[in-house]
Amino acid sequence: MIMPSAHQWVEGETLVQHFESRGISRREFMEFCGEMAVILGIGSAATPRIAEAFEAAKRPSVIWLQLQECTGCVESVLRTESPTIGDLLLDVISLDYQHTLMAGAGAAVEKAKQAAMSANKGKYLLVVTGSVPLKEDGMYTVIGGRTAKTVLEEAASGAAAILALGACAHWGSVQAARPNPTGAVGVRDVIKNKPILNIAGCPPIGDVVTATVVHYLTFGRLPAVDGEGRPLFAYGKRIHDQCSRRAHFDAGQFVETFDDEGARKGWCLYEVGCKGPATFSPCPIFMWNDRTSWPIGAGHPCLGCTEPHFWDTMTPFYGRLPDVGGFPVEERADTIGLALAIGAAAGVAAHGAATVFTQIRRRRSTNQVPESTSEEESHNG
Amino acid sequence: MTTRVGALGGARDLFGRVQRVFARERGNFTWVYLWSAPIRAMHWIAAACILSLIATGFYIARPYFATSGEASAHFLMGRVRFVHFAAAAVLVMTGIVRAYWLMVGNQFERLPALFPVTGKNISNLVKTAGSYLTFRPDKQPNFVGHNPMQQWSYTAVYAMAVVTVVTGFTLYGQSAPGSVIFRAFSWLPPLLGGLQGIRVIHHLMTWAFILFIEMHVYFAIRSDYVERAGVVSSIITGGRYISIDHSYEDYDIAKVPSHPWPTGEYRAPGKSE
Ligand code: HEM
Ligand code: SF4
Ligand code: SF4
Repeated sequence: MIMPSAHQWVEGETLVQHFESRGISRREFMEFCGEMAVILGIGSAATPRIAEAFEAAKRPSVIWLQLQECTGCVESVLRTESPTIGDLLLDVISLDYQHTLMAGAGAAVEKAKQAAMSANKGKYLLVVTGSVPLKEDGMYTVIGGRTAKTVLEEAASGAAAILALGACAHWGSVQAARPNPTGAVGVRDVIKNKPILNIAGCPPIGDVVTATVVHYLTFGRLPAVDGEGRPLFAYGKRIHDQCSRRAHFDAGQFVETFDDEGARKGWCLYEVGCKGPATFSPCPIFMWNDRTSWPIGAGHPCLGCTEPHFWDTMTPFYGRLPDVGGFPVEERADTIGLALAIGAAAGVAAHGAATVFTQIRRRRSTNQVPESTSEEESHNG
Repeated sequence: MTTRVGALGGARDLFGRVQRVFARERGNFTWVYLWSAPIRAMHWIAAACILSLIATGFYIARPYFATSGEASAHFLMGRVRFVHFAAAAVLVMTGIVRAYWLMVGNQFERLPALFPVTGKNISNLVKTAGSYLTFRPDKQPNFVGHNPMQQWSYTAVYAMAVVTVVTGFTLYGQSAPGSVIFRAFSWLPPLLGGLQGIRVIHHLMTWAFILFIEMHVYFAIRSDYVERAGVVSSIITGGRYISIDHSYEDYDIAKVPSHPWPTGEYRAPGKSE
């Protein structure tokens, strides 16, 4: 009901007709389908199938909850790439509730949400951005007088599937970093009985969401996922294995400070803390802002934002090894290791010397001549 | 006796003294066979692997050499990683040999030798530790094979190797998601704070190995010198001489002549074969 587009998709109109009325040609539409086929990794041969599915598409109803979050993910998704995919996505789906984008507010939209949920019970797609705070009975996030947990549970009960969009909905993100004062958790920690797809990232790249929706419409199910519940077409490979700076890694060419010669030459950011070797994300391929660039491309090490608990496990962001329980391993471990190694060397030397001297003293006091070891003494004396 | 002067002379004097203190004792000796050829081979191959894994691992952790010019002209990190992974593969093979020998080896090589848990063993462990701490090798219980302290430290180093190999292969599998190695270890990162947790453990284990090697080398040489136990030569030739005038905690010397060494390697000194 609340469409940001000026051209509403009227009942009975096919999607293609609707696109035409919006000035999107058949050719552009096919290009979009082809691009989606590529992003999904199913090959351009699948393009007609996607087009067909779209033409016959019954608009899926989507409820979008924003819980404990910063709206950054919404921003990211609305900036998806051409052909005006953000618009297209919002045209293809019937976005029945999204409290930031909606024109209305207050009791009226809450009522509309209830109506949409009961009309499409068991069929709508639930998109969630934001985490669920559990401490103090969840009072850290209250929407329309009800806690995030209640709102989520209610919406999830009638959903066909859930898209947990962004690091907050995935596992809690920055508010769940130690010591997690609000007890923030992700959707998967609250909802156990629905298929949940984690679109990881802080924020995720919008194209992943678009492609996921396209997959859902084309095949009627969610795409295949990895152990973290992230779609494999996007999160199936490490940044490090797709990185444009990888040749410098293999060559042994590393940036040491952000203003050195290596930095100017675009060398590998491994030594300044790049988490690409530990991060599964499509950043190097999909890139950001209409494929303009991406963090490593722009000279900044990857922070590892698509991995769970990255605020704790990937910090310090400019160091290679993480702190363990607040202890700076990177800075100290090698120093301590070296000190222990030197200590052990000194220790064994001292032990050896002490053994020799106690033996000499013992033999002197028992007046034994070393060359004639007596029989009552132990053989190894 | 000539009087030696100068630092070198002093050092030689000291060395001579030490040698006389631990002079070879006299009596009747017999040669016992302890370590089968595969165990000895495995020991030295694993040692070489671990040393090269430490050297290459430190380069991976902190690439101190840099190359300049075109990236296409170099493959330094690539090569170092290749050596690391090749040595890792060989280390795993030595581990397989060792695991097999835990089942088919002799008394000193079998699995129970790694876990000296009986009461007598514990009391010998305490006695051995006491003798090390008070610098009294003469108070040490006699063993033909390893004393309980050595046994436990070798059990520990096998455990360290398992941890390092498992964390290493977990990291290794990441470049090929879906591969057998990746899937075999995919359960691990979530338990240990993700891949970065795995990396830290792998890194710290390197220091644990360095500490182990220092102490291992010292104690081995020390037993050779102080206990005249011949352990260094035993891991080269397979056996050592033991005095037949003493009793051993892990070996019934009285039975030796009538019960030759299981592998038939028993040779009594002075008797022709
Ligand atoms: C004694 C045995 C070993 C030692 C001392 C050792 C040492 C190291 C060290 C110090 C690092 C750097 C860690 C860091 O700070 O990031 C490293 C990295 C690594 N090691 Fe080992 N390692 C050993 C065995 C193994 C084994 C058995 C494997 C199995 C394949 C392995 C695979 C790796 C991998 C994959 C990396 C990361 C390389 C990269 O991401 O480019 N290591 N090792
Ligand atoms: S910049 Fe980061 S992701 Fe790219 S090759 Fe270097 S370490 Fe790997
Ligand atoms: S480069 Fe790394 S930190 Fe940056 S957006 Fe991509 S996954 Fe997140």
